[in-house]
Amino acid sequence: MTVTPDLLRVLDDALNLQGRALGFDAATPLLGALPELDSMAVLALITGLEAHFGIAFSDDDLNGAVFATVGSLSELVEQALAGQGT
Amino acid sequence: MNAGPGAGLPQAFFLPAAPGSRATGQRFCLFHAPAGTPRGRVLYLHPFAEELNNSRRLVARQARALARAGYAVLQIDLLGCGDSAGAFEDALWSDWQADARLGLDWLAAHASGPVWLWGLRTGALLASDLATDTATRAPAEQATGLLLWQPVASGPQALQQFLRLHAASQWLGAGASASASGADTPAKRLERGEPVEIAGYTLTPALARGLQQARLVPPVASGARRLVWIDTALQPAAAPSPATERQLDAWRAAGWSVQARTVTAPAFWQQTGTDDAPDLIAATVSALSAGDAA
Repeated sequence: MTVTPDLLRVLDDALNLQGRALGFDAATPLLGALPELDSMAVLALITGLEAHFGIAFSDDDLNGAVFATVGSLSELVEQALAGQGT
Repeated sequence: MNAGPGAGLPQAFFLPAAPGSRATGQRFCLFHAPAGTPRGRVLYLHPFAEELNNSRRLVARQARALARAGYAVLQIDLLGCGDSAGAFEDALWSDWQADARLGLDWLAAHASGPVWLWGLRTGALLASDLATDTATRAPAEQATGLLLWQPVASGPQALQQFLRLHAASQWLGAGASASASGADTPAKRLERGEPVEIAGYTLTPALARGLQQARLVPPVASGARRLVWIDTALQPAAAPSPATERQLDAWRAAGWSVQARTVTAPAFWQQTGTDDAPDLIAATVSALSAGDAA
């Protein structure tokens, strides 16, 4: 099971992309490539992911690299979900 | 303040801080006079830092809609925020609590009807503080209604989000290849008693402490009390989240009559340039008015 479709929906909402994010794939670059992704939007994205997936990221897990692409962000969410199960 | 019924423009004025308060100077206020028969009074309490600016236009639009529906609405900029006196780093949480009381006192002297406290995000924390505070006032001056928009339930959570804003701006500056440096985080600097600069705001350890201690706590209702709780979502939303449900249960247990809704609207307090959310505005007016008829 991949979290990517749900993640794109959250991304689209958080950045108000009007459906554009739904066409993204794992290789789509985010931070630095998506003009809408300013610091408030990064925060909105983090908050949105936590609320949607019912997870809480540790500040230690959050850094610029995890927001590099859709794929790296999906990995972060999958790890957070896996961490809950243990 | 005088204004004919239906006056379109709010009255802008400066309200001097209450005599004897720690922080002096003027507070910027906007008063929206009610059209027609007055149905109640609403004091608006704004959110934290940049969220105030992001939400300003939509809040003004809502205030006008409430005024058209017969509510007297006062917006007050708290110490060091918006167009009020002082700098952000001068403010303590207790100053903001005092400013909220100041706004309510003004409203008590200039309008009539049931008192609603309307808080957005951390403004909800101030609203619940003030509702507790008014419990000792004369019955007509007690806050009998709370209107909470996307309320922050806990100060520590709001503080963590604000500190994350600092991290996010660093990632953007450094590019996607950089990783966070854990050596000198804003949280650690606050712990050492140093102020930190975040998104153009100087957050002092004292204000951070005040926010950290703030909680959304229902005052025990003496008499009829109404809570209108509105969350927003871009997708047509289902039921309130489990976290919201837990909060609502606490309010019901304290004797509040609870009306909770999720309306379709963007996260306007996090975005610049969102200045309309028709569903939110209509739902808010109808939620307040509905109770009057009951």
